[in-house]
Amino acid sequence: MTDSDVPATFQNQIEQHKKILYKVCNAYCRDRESREDLAQEITFQLWRSYGKFDGRRCTFSTWMYRIALNIAISFYRSEGVRTRHVIPGEQFLMESVADTERPSDEVRLLYEFIEELDPFSKAFVLLYLDGNTYPEIANIIGLSETNVATKISRLKSRMKQEAGTKNT
Amino acid sequence: MDIDVLREKWVEQDRKLDESIHMNGRLLTMANMNRTQPPLRRFALLAGLGTLLGLMFLIILGGFIYKHWAEPRFALPAIALHVWVIAYVVTSIRQMVAAFQIHFDQPVTAVQKQIESLRMMRLRVLRWALLTGQLVWWIPLLIVALKEFWDVDAYRILGPGFLIANLGFGVVIIPAAVWASNKFGERMGRRPAMQRLMRELAGYNLRAASRYLATLNEFEYETRA
Repeated sequence: MTDSDVPATFQNQIEQHKKILYKVCNAYCRDRESREDLAQEITFQLWRSYGKFDGRRCTFSTWMYRIALNIAISFYRSEGVRTRHVIPGEQFLMESVADTERPSDEVRLLYEFIEELDPFSKAFVLLYLDGNTYPEIANIIGLSETNVATKISRLKSRMKQEAGTKNT
Repeated sequence: MDIDVLREKWVEQDRKLDESIHMNGRLLTMANMNRTQPPLRRFALLAGLGTLLGLMFLIILGGFIYKHWAEPRFALPAIALHVWVIAYVVTSIRQMVAAFQIHFDQPVTAVQKQIESLRMMRLRVLRWALLTGQLVWWIPLLIVALKEFWDVDAYRILGPGFLIANLGFGVVIIPAAVWASNKFGERMGRRPAMQRLMRELAGYNLRAASRYLATLNEFEYETRA
């Protein structure tokens, strides 16, 4: 891969995995401005780290999840960066028709549940819902598969419990 | 509400997302992405700048100590400053190295621990610098600067009483500053800069960082249980 190929290859890869970016931003930020800020921060870091990406060590999606979640958790915890756009102006990196569409009640419920979770649990639920296997989740988060299974099982119980409380 | 049932709905929405999300390709290009530095890189560069300034100070102070080695009244304040600057340079280098070692493509728990440890290091240094700085950056600096730049003897023109009183004030102000920041830090809501300073002195942010690190460890431990 030559230097001149990088932007096109990078763009293609991001385009193929744009859903990861969209879902991580939605899980960690409530308003659109913050989501856009986070999307820009993540994309910027993806670009900076792209030269070090080694497809033999992990898949592009695993690599992208790691960066996106690391940035999202740091962003979520930091103060004073919420209004700072990496890219100046009124341009948006990520536009979605889905923003204007009303999601189904079930998906809305899921987002409500995710919103109340701590940043690490958010990552677990997101990875699980996205269909990642336990070994994949373990690889992204940095815990053992057994730990991942336990954590997800607890989150499932918590969700059931919370739904029960809301219904009564 | 079963997460596995909802997962199917999630997958359904996922399929729609492919068509509904549009990425702004132009903004994804290198030129646009290079306009700014990420916070960690900026932090590392600032630490690097601090190190450079510190090294410059060390050279100047080293020369002064060498020149006035036989006069302890001038050499001792310079040594105090020198020791302070050495500690500052060492911690700046440690912070810079730690910041450069963080790679966001590593597993989440590892990266978050590194980031929080760096934050704790930064907060400790800042608190230490704020508290001890007033001891060396007032009277010792005054004595050294007057002698070095104007060849004026601070002991003679200001008098030992003035110097001792000010040094004593510097010693007293440290516990007083910690006490005041603990007592009033939370009430300074209308002045963000002052509130930040008070919070740093009181160690609120340091404690918060420490709690977060403990939560991270607990998080790993909890899943093992």
